[in-house]
Amino acid sequence: METNNPNIEPPKEIERSPSGLTILWREIVRDKLALISLIFFVATTAGVFIASLLLDLNEIVKVDLFALYERPSSEFWLGTDYGGRDIFGQLIIGTRNSLAIGLLVTLMSGTIGILIGLISGYFGGTIDNIFMRFVDFFMILPTLMIVIVFVTAVPDYSIYSFSFIMTAFLWMGIARLIRSKALQERELEYVQASKTLGSSDFKIMFTQVLPNLSSIIIVTMTLNLAANIGIESGLSFLGFGFPEDTPSLGTLISYARNPQTLELRWWIWLPASILILVLMLSINNVGQALKRATDARQRRG
Amino acid sequence: MWKLIVRRILIMIPQIFVLSLLVFIMAKAMPGDALTGLIDPNIDPAAIEAMRERLGLNNPWYVQYWDWVTRAMQGDLGQSFHFKMPVTELIGQRLVNTFWLSLATLIFTYMIAIPLGITSGRYNDTFLDRAITGYTYVGFAAPLFITALLMLFVFGFQLGWFPTGGSVSPGSAAGTWDYILSKAYHLILPAFSMAVITTVSTVQYLRSEIIDTKQKEFIITARAKGASESRVYNRHILRNSLLPIAAFFGYEITGLIGGTIFIENIFNYPGMGQLFLQSITRRDFSVMTACVLLFGIAAIIGALISDIILSLVDPRIRIK
Amino acid sequence: MALLEVKDLKVHFPIRGGIFNTVVDQVKAVDGVNFSIEPGQTYGLVGESGSGKTTTGRAVIGLNKITSGDVLFEGHNLAKGGRKSHLNVRKDIQMIFQDPYSSLNPKKRVADIVAEPLRNFEKLTKKEERVRVEELMELVGLSTEAIFKYPHEFSGGQRQRIGIARAIALKPKLIIADEPVSALDVSVQAQVLNFMQEIQKELGLTYLFISHDLGIVRHICDHIGIMYKGRYVEQGASEDIFTNPQHIYTKRLVSAIPDLDPNRRESLTVKRQQAKKDFDELSDKFFDEEGLPYPLKPISDSHLVALPEKG
Repeated sequence: METNNPNIEPPKEIERSPSGLTILWREIVRDKLALISLIFFVATTAGVFIASLLLDLNEIVKVDLFALYERPSSEFWLGTDYGGRDIFGQLIIGTRNSLAIGLLVTLMSGTIGILIGLISGYFGGTIDNIFMRFVDFFMILPTLMIVIVFVTAVPDYSIYSFSFIMTAFLWMGIARLIRSKALQERELEYVQASKTLGSSDFKIMFTQVLPNLSSIIIVTMTLNLAANIGIESGLSFLGFGFPEDTPSLGTLISYARNPQTLELRWWIWLPASILILVLMLSINNVGQALKRATDARQRRG
Repeated sequence: MWKLIVRRILIMIPQIFVLSLLVFIMAKAMPGDALTGLIDPNIDPAAIEAMRERLGLNNPWYVQYWDWVTRAMQGDLGQSFHFKMPVTELIGQRLVNTFWLSLATLIFTYMIAIPLGITSGRYNDTFLDRAITGYTYVGFAAPLFITALLMLFVFGFQLGWFPTGGSVSPGSAAGTWDYILSKAYHLILPAFSMAVITTVSTVQYLRSEIIDTKQKEFIITARAKGASESRVYNRHILRNSLLPIAAFFGYEITGLIGGTIFIENIFNYPGMGQLFLQSITRRDFSVMTACVLLFGIAAIIGALISDIILSLVDPRIRIK
Repeated sequence: MALLEVKDLKVHFPIRGGIFNTVVDQVKAVDGVNFSIEPGQTYGLVGESGSGKTTTGRAVIGLNKITSGDVLFEGHNLAKGGRKSHLNVRKDIQMIFQDPYSSLNPKKRVADIVAEPLRNFEKLTKKEERVRVEELMELVGLSTEAIFKYPHEFSGGQRQRIGIARAIALKPKLIIADEPVSALDVSVQAQVLNFMQEIQKELGLTYLFISHDLGIVRHICDHIGIMYKGRYVEQGASEDIFTNPQHIYTKRLVSAIPDLDPNRRESLTVKRQQAKKDFDELSDKFFDEEGLPYPLKPISDSHLVALPEKG
């Protein structure tokens, strides 16, 4: 986002004013709850990615008939499931998978949403009308059902097709938001000024308007990340998410659809449920703190 | 005003058309057609071919689409190949169950949102407000299915206060008081579980609306005229804040549909959401398409109603 | 030869409405405007808000679509082709905007703002660019140490200077100044205006000065056009307009210019009341049945007035 070029070194020491992103960062650090959430999120992410490198995936998903439904013990920290598989190991792999797909879908849907929203809002007129009719329509539709149908319909189902299907239905919200902001920005005189200075529409959109939307983009993407992890685990919970050989947090919780497991074997689904809850809460905390930071009225200091 | 409403209704026509097209494409995209799962492998392929021909499955897609649409408009949504009965009949009872579930959820949603939102907005930055804001924070982050599972685990299984599945106790005869009570009893936990999550955005909206309105000039004027605090709230603030919320119920429908899919699955409640999931696992595609179509139309009409009410209530909101 | 010649310029905006959002009417923001500007001069375009003066300026520089008419700049017709078609001609026309707060991108450092036109038209190395930006900053009287600051760290007058630095970066021939001082404090207005006149001499600039304030226009403009409802009511040399206004609308505007001399207050009030009375009584005669001004007619070599046919 920053345009100052690192290779022009000011000849004398000239003080640079802090950029918008620096201010955002300062606000997060000042907000204790958000800082703790951020540290927790980063630590968990780093932890599961490193741990999953060390863990042997085959060992974890191997069926062990002598250890069905074991309670938590020193051997199986969180017990085992109906196939005698270690829950703790699955929890780590599942968290890694859920986070990875959450990030991937957020980035893909964010990129598409930003592009379409920016184009739609900046040009306005007919392009905008067409895009927004389309977006309005899909925002009304019960997309969860449609995603489920597509998941069933796709041949050669894999993680990639799953993330593409999710992306296809999740870019609309951010597109609409970016569009409404771009519509406001393009009326400002700095956009007119850029036109008279000979900058192309493309250049104005991406180098002039986009930086002004950066904080709102960061906020929305953060909140979307939490939402997307929720949607993914929900779909996996229903059995329409990750393919069976790739456990996600939702897969672990889906064992609770069996009433006996829900009632009697809490160690299978409860840790994953709590982990999702805490993860989403901490991502949301960061997002809300960022939101406050971008809204000068609510800024704390 | 009339112009707006007519225009909004006109927008709905292409929406429903695109929806029907989308649903049709989805049905066609499903692996195999209606006959694949049905027919005994021993049957002569020529007979299958004849059946295909008779059912119109060999026609070009637009002919098939047209047939399907005209039949659907006459209320004929095809046959369920799993239950061997017309889809319309199959859906009937399920639809009623889902309707009650959604209604109960909406009622709970408003029952939670209005007192909490008003308290939180009126006494903002007090301890009570912080507690309510904390709840909305958690509720905003918590996925519906996890909340519902925890509710079922705690209130259904551990405490045993509510039934853990079904829509009515077996053995109660339809039409009796017992039957109605049993139905209501079965509704409470699923509806409440859904409402504690869906209500969050309404609480937040109401809170910020009230805080905003509190600082407006006309409220300060009302206070300056010596109006009592309760009069200020009841006559001035609430009237301005509650109307839009009442109008939002149509938009809630899209969210409710997603919710019922999870809730009915978790509470084993025989409604449309459960039917939809079952129809997919059973490859009963005529039922599946009917579910998507009906839910889609419900959502479109919900948005239409909300748009119209909002444009009547709030002249600043204009439908483009 | 005139640097800029505008011939029968029309800018109409469609009004959409009805159930199908069709075009139901046109707003004739600019409806047949002619004027020309000689090199090195300052041409004032005056009118109340909604008179079409800003739209005229924006149409000349290509920000508003021209419905019909010609805009000749050094012989190139800018009305033909889109915004991109005359890029190299257009870089000789630059604009100073009204609002110094929104006309500078809040997320950009001053160095980037001033360098934007240079990056579009001149291939400079980072070092050369830095030198040029510093020159420009010095030219507009700002410290070169300010180039790594953000716009919000400057006052309104300083921001307008940054806007001017950006506008003159490409050494343009014509500058369209759209109410360049109306958003500034009165105390700063004079500074900025004087400064604009200084650089005009220094760089040989031509100004199209758009303003609603006749008091300012009187001081800096050589020629003046008065607009009303998208048309001209009167055009002439500064002297013609201020000493010999012919149209009732111009007369009323001129009489409304405040005067600091307390001794003349009485006579000014009388003049103002007379102008208002004339305007109310004679408006049927000076405007056509739609309330629009008539076409311009010359009353001297330099002076044109929109008078009725038999006037």
